[in-house]
Amino acid sequence: MIGRPPGMGPASTVIGTPVDRDEAGPVRLPRRKLRMLLPYFRPYAGRAVLAVAMMLVATAAGLAAPALAQVGIDDGIRAGDRTMLYLAVGLLVGAGLLGWLAGSAQSYLSSWVGERVLLDLRTRVFQHVQLLSLGYHERTPTGWTVSRLTSDIEALDQLVTEGVSSLVVNGLTFLGVIAILFGVYDWQLALMAFAILPLLVASTAVFRALSTRAYRRTRERVADVLAALQESIAGIRVVQGFGRQDPSAEEFRRVNAEYRAANMQTIWLSGVYFPGVELLSAAGTALILWFGGSRVLDGDLTVGVMVAFLGYLATFFDPIQALSQLYNTFQAAMAALEKILGVLGTEPEIGDRPGAVPLPPVRGRLELSGVSFGYTRERVLHGIDLSVAAGETVAVVGPTGAGKSTLAKLVARFYDPDEGRVLLDGHDLRGVTVASLRAQLGIVPQEGHLFSGTIADNLRFGAPDATDEDLRRACAAVGALEVVESLPDGFDTEIQERGARLSAGQRQLLSFARALVADPRLLILDEATSSVDLRTERRIEEALQTLLAGRTAIVIAHRLSTVRRADRIVVVDGGRIVEQGTHAELIAAGGRYAALYGDWEAPAAVA
Amino acid sequence: MRTLLRLLGFLRPYRWRVAATLAAALGLMACSITLPYLTRRVIDDVLEGGDRSLLVPLVLAVAGVGAVRFLLGMARRVTSGSVSLGVEFDLRDRMFRHLQRLSFAYFDRTSVGQLMSRATSDLQTVRFFLGYGLVFLVMHAFTLVIVTGILLTIHAPLALLALLMGPALVALAARFSRRSHPVLVDVQQKVGDVTQLAEESTAGIRVIKAFGREPEQSARFGATARRAFDRSMDANRLQSFYQPLMGFLPVLGLAVVLAVGGTLTVDGELTLGEFVQFYLYLSMLVWPFRSLGQLIGGAQRATASGRRIFEVLDERPDVAEAPDARPLAPGGGAVRLEGVRFGYEEGRPVLDGLDLAVPAGRTAAVIGATGSGKSTLTALVPRYYDPWEGRVLLDGVDVRDLRLDELRRAVGVVSQEPFLFSATIRENIAYGAPGATDAEVRAAARAARAEAFVDALPQGFDTVVGERGFTLSGGQRQRIAIARAIITDPRVLVLDEATASVDASTEREIQEALRAAMAGRTTFVIAHRASTIALADEVVVLEHGRVAARGTHAELYAANDLYSEIHDAGVARDDLLLTEAGQ
Repeated sequence: MIGRPPGMGPASTVIGTPVDRDEAGPVRLPRRKLRMLLPYFRPYAGRAVLAVAMMLVATAAGLAAPALAQVGIDDGIRAGDRTMLYLAVGLLVGAGLLGWLAGSAQSYLSSWVGERVLLDLRTRVFQHVQLLSLGYHERTPTGWTVSRLTSDIEALDQLVTEGVSSLVVNGLTFLGVIAILFGVYDWQLALMAFAILPLLVASTAVFRALSTRAYRRTRERVADVLAALQESIAGIRVVQGFGRQDPSAEEFRRVNAEYRAANMQTIWLSGVYFPGVELLSAAGTALILWFGGSRVLDGDLTVGVMVAFLGYLATFFDPIQALSQLYNTFQAAMAALEKILGVLGTEPEIGDRPGAVPLPPVRGRLELSGVSFGYTRERVLHGIDLSVAAGETVAVVGPTGAGKSTLAKLVARFYDPDEGRVLLDGHDLRGVTVASLRAQLGIVPQEGHLFSGTIADNLRFGAPDATDEDLRRACAAVGALEVVESLPDGFDTEIQERGARLSAGQRQLLSFARALVADPRLLILDEATSSVDLRTERRIEEALQTLLAGRTAIVIAHRLSTVRRADRIVVVDGGRIVEQGTHAELIAAGGRYAALYGDWEAPAAVA
Repeated sequence: MRTLLRLLGFLRPYRWRVAATLAAALGLMACSITLPYLTRRVIDDVLEGGDRSLLVPLVLAVAGVGAVRFLLGMARRVTSGSVSLGVEFDLRDRMFRHLQRLSFAYFDRTSVGQLMSRATSDLQTVRFFLGYGLVFLVMHAFTLVIVTGILLTIHAPLALLALLMGPALVALAARFSRRSHPVLVDVQQKVGDVTQLAEESTAGIRVIKAFGREPEQSARFGATARRAFDRSMDANRLQSFYQPLMGFLPVLGLAVVLAVGGTLTVDGELTLGEFVQFYLYLSMLVWPFRSLGQLIGGAQRATASGRRIFEVLDERPDVAEAPDARPLAPGGGAVRLEGVRFGYEEGRPVLDGLDLAVPAGRTAAVIGATGSGKSTLTALVPRYYDPWEGRVLLDGVDVRDLRLDELRRAVGVVSQEPFLFSATIRENIAYGAPGATDAEVRAAARAARAEAFVDALPQGFDTVVGERGFTLSGGQRQRIAIARAIITDPRVLVLDEATASVDASTEREIQEALRAAMAGRTTFVIAHRASTIALADEVVVLEHGRVAARGTHAELYAANDLYSEIHDAGVARDDLLLTEAGQ
């Protein structure tokens, strides 16, 4: 249950977009969460170890350079010993070469392992999300789920690919410099050089804290700019339609200026901090020159050691900055990981029970007995009894909120009833495997959702083995062949973003064809309410007849023609079946349906 | 090159700040050059020469130079940052203003995504180049020239030898930048594919579950994510090769100095101080050489981005106000189209010699098959497009002679899927009349039959709607759009399939709103439904871009086959739409 956003009701009642800001609050128990990531690293342990080894080599090679230069100066140049000088230079070049090769290997291996682990994790999260029940998806806005698969993974990506190697390399460099200065050289001079360290650490901490806030504000302001831009381009016809170009540009100027002001703060912050670090570095240099210089004059220190100190001083400023940066990355990654683990920890509510058997091929006799159900404690369906013969078409009608869609969802086993049973050919749906049930079930939702890919890919969605001829036949049967053939590449036409290039009616026809290719025994259809142009409308009507013929069908009906043609009409209200019978019977009975029907016919009478 | 010069033009308002940035940068460089010199003096004069009295003054000089460098560094960062942000602000503001003026035809053929990427990523590229890149380019060039000069004076042969690594480093960095950029763009693309698939799989989860295709969809996602992985490994491979190599080259250069310079020092040709100074100066060149290469790549990208931005800025609006445009004289809203030919693609006219006059205050229903030009006809009245031939008159004046904003305000349009802004309902209704009082907003809402449901919302008229706000139903959005259209009291009202996407009972509610809205205005109604068509005084049947027939419902029903067919089908359709009795 951790994965669910707090206070999230059914998606339709959510006001505005879900709150999904990167709240970088204090992160608890990071160790336990990190341990959850370990299994993902295990398959690549060999490479990971190699990467770390390469990091060590590269870091050591980097640290050796100033030391070798010192040897070259003191033991070579000052001592006048050419052999020593050339030896030092040779070692220096060798260390450089080693650093180059190890650096290459380290950089490649560590990013490979990191990205590979995230690829696995991302795929795993996707699989899990796909298995979560419809209830989860109805409670959770699409954007929230998508963020788990995109921005959260990217936050981890930064930590895993750059963070780890940055931690090792910078941490080692830092410790290495300290060890060398204190141990190998001169602890007194080292203490002097480190005098500026507390100042550096303190100012870095302050800078991080302030800049994190300033950067967040900048990101929020830039999001406002983008939203304003996006909206004004999308709504340009309204803007121009009302002649509001100037006020709209003024408004944009305001948002744009707010962004500039917010961003200017980040510039001030880094404008003070980075030169400040250089100032500290200059102060360090001065201290070393003064104290070290005095000691050289006293004969306690060689010039080479002092030059080496100056060299090392430069190398430990970078690690401190990098490590403080890493802290932010770490926090963001932990927040992301928590959300990802929340999703992975959510159990699918509908799954195969222990001992579930595959559903044998059915004829399509459906029976609901005493079915009650509610999404929350409040019941939506109360004691529904309904039996549908194989091959029968039942139209379900009733007001919005009566429970029509819920009824259909129980038949598809998107939910299990709280009480009562749903039986298909006598098999309780809870006792069969979900996959075998869905294989014999076809569902056509209101809006024909198409996926990116070709038309043929989409038609084959429910039956991957269907031949080209099958597709052609199905399209011809529902009158979609003409639509497909009018497209530039026919069945191979790539569908753009959610079928944007196709009209609503065309998408509807294609989703009928998709259901027909799958050839289900039991069909559940939610009719679309929006009207489309005349010819398409007629085609849809005919297509529907073809689709319904010869199979058991539950139709949530919005069209009178569908209702009239149904074998039986079931009127649902307040979660109960209030009437059922044929069109003629119900009209004759003069009940709820007859009243509905009267209402229906009214608009036509105006003309 | 011309693009680059045009881009430089954006720096003009900030020329003094750019100059200040450069001055600060030069000062910084002078400081950086002074430090190794001071270090040399410490070593040569104090440590080797044994002159202890110079130590403290030299150390103080080092600290002083550090302090000056701090101030200059701050000035440099803040001024160049403000220039960069200023350029970004100006460019974006200019682009926005320009986009506001471009005509409908431009937006028909340009996607929102394309324009967004020009206003964001292209703009960022230009901003970074103009704000930072240029300054660094100048700074690095100076550093290179001056430091090279110093190195040559210290010891020319050694300098020439050591500087050999320079061109190699520049070439390498430029090559890296050039090679990795397309790969990085492609990585972005592949990551975009992953996001898209995640989105559509989540939005389409019902279909996936209905067909039991979760495993296949997961496999597809895995493959897409794998492609993103492969491509990003390509980028990593480039980076893993070039970055450490670029780190190695300077080491090589320093080693050369150490070996050759060291030998020279041993031989007494160089003092130890000179040698250390040389060594330090050479290290100063590593960074400029490296970033010079990157900056060359950055300049290339900024030019390409600049070209794309100028493409937008150079676009001229097809529909523009005439220089001697007249104010709109009072009138009743009579509309007349004379011999109008117009289409969206050359050689394919949608309207082909159309003549139509609708007297003031009358309501005309426009019907016809899909593509017969119904919406096109109405789009010409507010001058969303100009006809190829013929003219459109409002109260006897060619619309091309009128002031554009007055004309547009005189024509109210309600479309099939009205666009609402992410703002309060009040702001949305008052969109065309920003000065409207609460009472006026309320009156418009009442006339559009929206008042009751708005009052029932949690924040009433202050409820934020639109993409980022409260989700209204189709019928509710439609009524807000009607209120928005009538609050400006337009002479002409266009209802373009205003009822097509709502169900029958909502339609009946809107119908009342529409009837109220039409009173006293010239109205064009485009509709499929007989019940909506019935609102009109007369019906105009379009066929092949011309008026095929017109008359009252009764006249046409008797005389025109096309109309009676459409009408009968429309009636048949009407009763197909199930009433949701509960609403």
